[in-house]
Amino acid sequence: MDQLAARSSMIHNMTPLSKLWIAVFYILVTVSFHKYDISGLFVMVLFPLLGYQLSYIPVLTCFHKLRVVMPLVCAVGLLNPFYDRQILLTVGTVGISAGVISMLTLMMKGVFCLMMSFLLVATTGITGICSALRQIRCPEVITTLLLLTYRYISLLLEEVSTMTTAYHLRAPGQKGIRMSAWGSFLGQLILRSMDRAQGLYESMMLRGFHGEFHSAAENKGPRAVSAAVSVICSICVLACRWYNIPALLNSLVMF
Amino acid sequence: MIQFDHVNFSYTGEQPVLQDLSFHIREGEQVGLIGANGAGKSTLMKAVLGLVYPQQGRILADGIPVEPANLAQIRKSLGYVLQDSDQQMFMPTVLDDMIFGPVNYGLAKAEAVKKAEETLASLHIEHLKDRYNHRISGGEKRMAAIATILTMEPKVMLMDEPSSSLDPRNRRNLIRALKTIPVTKLIAAHDLDLILDTCTRVLLLSGGRIAADGPAEEILRDRKLLEDNGLELPLSIGGRSGQ
Repeated sequence: MDQLAARSSMIHNMTPLSKLWIAVFYILVTVSFHKYDISGLFVMVLFPLLGYQLSYIPVLTCFHKLRVVMPLVCAVGLLNPFYDRQILLTVGTVGISAGVISMLTLMMKGVFCLMMSFLLVATTGITGICSALRQIRCPEVITTLLLLTYRYISLLLEEVSTMTTAYHLRAPGQKGIRMSAWGSFLGQLILRSMDRAQGLYESMMLRGFHGEFHSAAENKGPRAVSAAVSVICSICVLACRWYNIPALLNSLVMF
Repeated sequence: MIQFDHVNFSYTGEQPVLQDLSFHIREGEQVGLIGANGAGKSTLMKAVLGLVYPQQGRILADGIPVEPANLAQIRKSLGYVLQDSDQQMFMPTVLDDMIFGPVNYGLAKAEAVKKAEETLASLHIEHLKDRYNHRISGGEKRMAAIATILTMEPKVMLMDEPSSSLDPRNRRNLIRALKTIPVTKLIAAHDLDLILDTCTRVLLLSGGRIAADGPAEEILRDRKLLEDNGLELPLSIGGRSGQ
């Protein structure tokens, strides 16, 4: 993610605050769509797609990185078709229930929001996001927690990888980790991660850490441009929320 | 620069790690801290930095008592190179890591970047500037870790096993770099050849006490003293020749 964030593009060069604003506003507007307003919601995919194009980040990267989370997001609303059976529309002779529509809407909302969140992190970096949060007076304890969690997660994953390799080297042909070993495995993992996290924390404290991480990379784009882009984006997002663009286009074509 | 007065420390309250430790390191001295495993080298370093506090005795760093209230001031003048460079290098790029300390201590980012570039040039590792920490080799990471500390312009550098995990060429580079760094140094290492090459004075720790304190050439040539304290002669002086 850090490597993606270090690239240069129009989106990368915008100020973190502008990007944070656009992402949060987009997410709020997207989740505010009515559960049956599937046609209106379709248009919202254009914003993250445009963002990926302008930042030269392949959309597939997002789906690949979030391949574990995406199914969970899509699973939300899976039970809707069983509870909401009222037929809302018919395609040919097939009736589509309101439950199916609301399930699809929920899935789309989740996927769109994840795409936008990923775009924000991939073009801003966690340090930039936290500096933007600090600018809007977000409590330091929250930004510090975010930053440290981000730093410690890599340590935890490294330890998991090392321990899993060590286990498999001494348990050839065994699939996964035996149930009886899980207790000591997790215990060791916690202890080792705590040790490493303590070392890292001490290293930060010894270099004067007081809640802020600073990146040497500067945003090259002017602030005024970033502000203008965020205002234009917000207006477009709002327009998509107020007007059902596909319905409008349809009526224009029919007219 | 660093003064220990009758310092006693124990982690559990039972087994003492540092026992009645007294010594004084003066400005500009290059001191090697040697001893077998568990002799108390790392704990001594941690005590100087205020990461642990002695139960008895007093420690002065740059003339200031090591106490919670003075830690920010003390740590500004002490640079600590950890044994594990991965713990030292936690920012995405080498440059980000190098400006971390100076910016935290109030230097403007542009100035910190300039200082970082100068430090990289002085260590001949300019090519590492924009590299990602997880993409550089162990030797490069070690040199970068030293650079992150040097950017802070410390008055005293404390180093824990600086040559661990280095190949011979990188070890030579490290020794060359250490010789050119003009600050007071306290280097804890099992690599006695490195100590011989870079230090003028040696503190030999054994069971948390100072077993010997004197010129490096003298102590590191004393086979009996070293062997009595779980060490061997440096290879360059003829270590292992008698085996």
